[in-house]
Amino acid sequence: MEEQDITTEGEGGVWRQAALALWSRPMIRACLIIMLLFSLLAGYGEAVYQYYRHTDQTPTYQQLNLRERYQPPGFVRFYSTRSAADLFRHPLGTDNLGRDVALRIVQGARIAFQVGVVTSLIAIPLGVLLGCLGGYFGGRTDALVVWLYSTVASMPGLLFILAISVVVGKGLTGVYLGIGLTTWVGVCRLIRGEVIKHRDLPYVQAARVMGHGPFYILFRHILPNIAHVIIIVFSLRFPAAISTEVFISFLGLGAQNEPSWGIMINNARLRLWQGMWWELTFVTLALFLLVLSFNLAGDALRDAFDPRLRK
Amino acid sequence: MLLHYVIRRTLQMIPIVFGVIVLTFVLFHAVGGSPASMALGKNATVRSLEEYDRQHGYDRPLFWGTLLKTRALKGWVTSEFYPDGGAPVLEPGVTRVDSFCADVDLHYLLKPDTDYVLRMVVRSTNGASAALMVCQNNGVPGEPHDFGDGSAQWYTVSDPDYAAYPLPPLSAQFRREDVAFHTAPETDERDLLLIVKEGAADIREAVIFEKTSDPWNSQFLSYLKRLSRFDLGVSSDTQERVTSILKRGAWPSLVLNVPILVGGTLLAVLMALLCAWRRDHAMDRIMVLAATVLMSVNYIVWIVAGQYFFAYRLGWFPIWGFESWRYLLLPVFIGIATGLGRDVRFYRTVMLEEVAKDYVKTAEAKGLGAGRILFRHVLKNALPPIITNVSLSLPFLFTGSLLLESFFGIPGLGGLSVNAINSSDMAVVQAVVLIGALLYVVINLLTDVCYALVDPRVRLR
Repeated sequence: MEEQDITTEGEGGVWRQAALALWSRPMIRACLIIMLLFSLLAGYGEAVYQYYRHTDQTPTYQQLNLRERYQPPGFVRFYSTRSAADLFRHPLGTDNLGRDVALRIVQGARIAFQVGVVTSLIAIPLGVLLGCLGGYFGGRTDALVVWLYSTVASMPGLLFILAISVVVGKGLTGVYLGIGLTTWVGVCRLIRGEVIKHRDLPYVQAARVMGHGPFYILFRHILPNIAHVIIIVFSLRFPAAISTEVFISFLGLGAQNEPSWGIMINNARLRLWQGMWWELTFVTLALFLLVLSFNLAGDALRDAFDPRLRK
Repeated sequence: MLLHYVIRRTLQMIPIVFGVIVLTFVLFHAVGGSPASMALGKNATVRSLEEYDRQHGYDRPLFWGTLLKTRALKGWVTSEFYPDGGAPVLEPGVTRVDSFCADVDLHYLLKPDTDYVLRMVVRSTNGASAALMVCQNNGVPGEPHDFGDGSAQWYTVSDPDYAAYPLPPLSAQFRREDVAFHTAPETDERDLLLIVKEGAADIREAVIFEKTSDPWNSQFLSYLKRLSRFDLGVSSDTQERVTSILKRGAWPSLVLNVPILVGGTLLAVLMALLCAWRRDHAMDRIMVLAATVLMSVNYIVWIVAGQYFFAYRLGWFPIWGFESWRYLLLPVFIGIATGLGRDVRFYRTVMLEEVAKDYVKTAEAKGLGAGRILFRHVLKNALPPIITNVSLSLPFLFTGSLLLESFFGIPGLGGLSVNAINSSDMAVVQAVVLIGALLYVVINLLTDVCYALVDPRVRLR
């Protein structure tokens, strides 16, 4: 009966309460701030990327500078030379080709967010649409939807995503399609379950008695009431998509000639044995912080909205 | 009753198996680029590409149909329409054909006495109609020929080697037009002649198909036939049969992944029980946080860092290879660590649900110890979801873990798949994907049947 409580609580009430519940927990607040920082970085990275693309120059994060190869992070050099100039020049060091690690991490954040957003734009509409149709209409439509998602769910996860990106061809398009066309299944299952729960509630029956058509009821009445599920799904699949992209790019199938975190890890892995620890450390730290914040915030969001959605 | 359930459940499985086969087929046969150009490289001739297509059956229709693909006219519209390079190109990919005739050099051998279909995406600029002629000897102009409406053309069709096939009047929008024609007997080198009456026509695409009489000779059906013989094709890399590759790779994968699954599950269940035992204490919260932290560390980082610190720096484990059990230690530890966070969180939720039930209160009221309650009562009742979770990861025992195997040099199916992906060896990738999916479906069925055996309530659903 909690759904009814949610609907009677007034406009924005639930959302404001959820936001307050998240913000009142210091750890979650830290996570939200980290997420915000990363999205700002990603936005900045996008601006830089677009600037260099339009002016047709080699971006600074791609420029080779063989004289400044293997520069340790600024604070390490500062420790030995005590000059403030060292602290801010290449604050996170340079890689084996003299490219600034900090700038490349910002570009990696751009690609990570791009992947998270684009795959969500593929998977969530697909999953929501199919889940709504199957859940509301039942019968043959539902059987078709269940068949579709059972088939895709049977595919061996990561290998199937890799196969899609191989078939589509190297590059981020393959990554988008691979992740987007496989992860709608989870969205679809959840939404379908929720729609089935709502299908026969009094407010839906009332709408039906008033003579509204099925699509009007689905998208104007039921969907707003299960919108929180979509938000939760988004926050939980975002970090998963980022991790998968890192994995695919690491194998050389994803981003090409762009500093994706996966490519940076692969590059830094080989230099680790030569003592270049900073690139790997900072990239993995950035990846870890972003994914962890999303995971923690996603959990908190789920708890705030609906503790019973826990799986 | 039980038999009834098993039969119903098996029947439910069939559409999913079919879906899995169709999905892998579509992914690997319809979506990707031409396997011939992938196998033969960029500099292959049209003739050798087509020979490859024919040998492997890639010229046949995907599911159903009578049109076989040929490579005639490939790239013709844009580049080779006028051999002297004077073709007026209106926009990318569209060529204008002026009235009278256009002589198309095929660079291609049309077989004698065969049915072909010319498929064009074409529009007229001013309601032009077109006629197609198939003729020999590069279309040497002959006597003017009357098409019956007073418009004479510079080609004769009275010669037995020539034949005219008129197109219907073209529309102002691009539309697909099919023209069927038949090549003359006992001739080989042929040219196509496209005659446009009154005005001009714009051609965007033109392909020639060979027409067969058997619509069931499709790629999908022969794929099904091969599957029913357990023939998964040949690796394009090593020319080895894929089935023997799979057999070879299954054992190392099992050796690596069974300890990971068993160890990981035991550890995760124990930790989840610990959480359930201390459910309102700081310990539970710390464990959940730790599990989330573990879960957020990328798989790649586990492997790279583990290999660097424990194998290279500390020298506790061998770095790479598959020679004795010591080589498996580090990958097994890493495999357990990567799955632990997710599993602990899942099992903890399951346990907490059980712990909240009344029978636990009863047991506590009876004065049973915490250990007895957790292990004898809660664990037993929490088993079904645990078993489901474990059974869902069973297919991966066989298909292997991609990165662990390729990074530690374990010749299992996961490592093989990564190699196959890197070298675009699609037959192997396809086989592993298909087998993994089929195993998943079958294991799902077996799990459900086991439940039905153990728990009579399941059969009624």
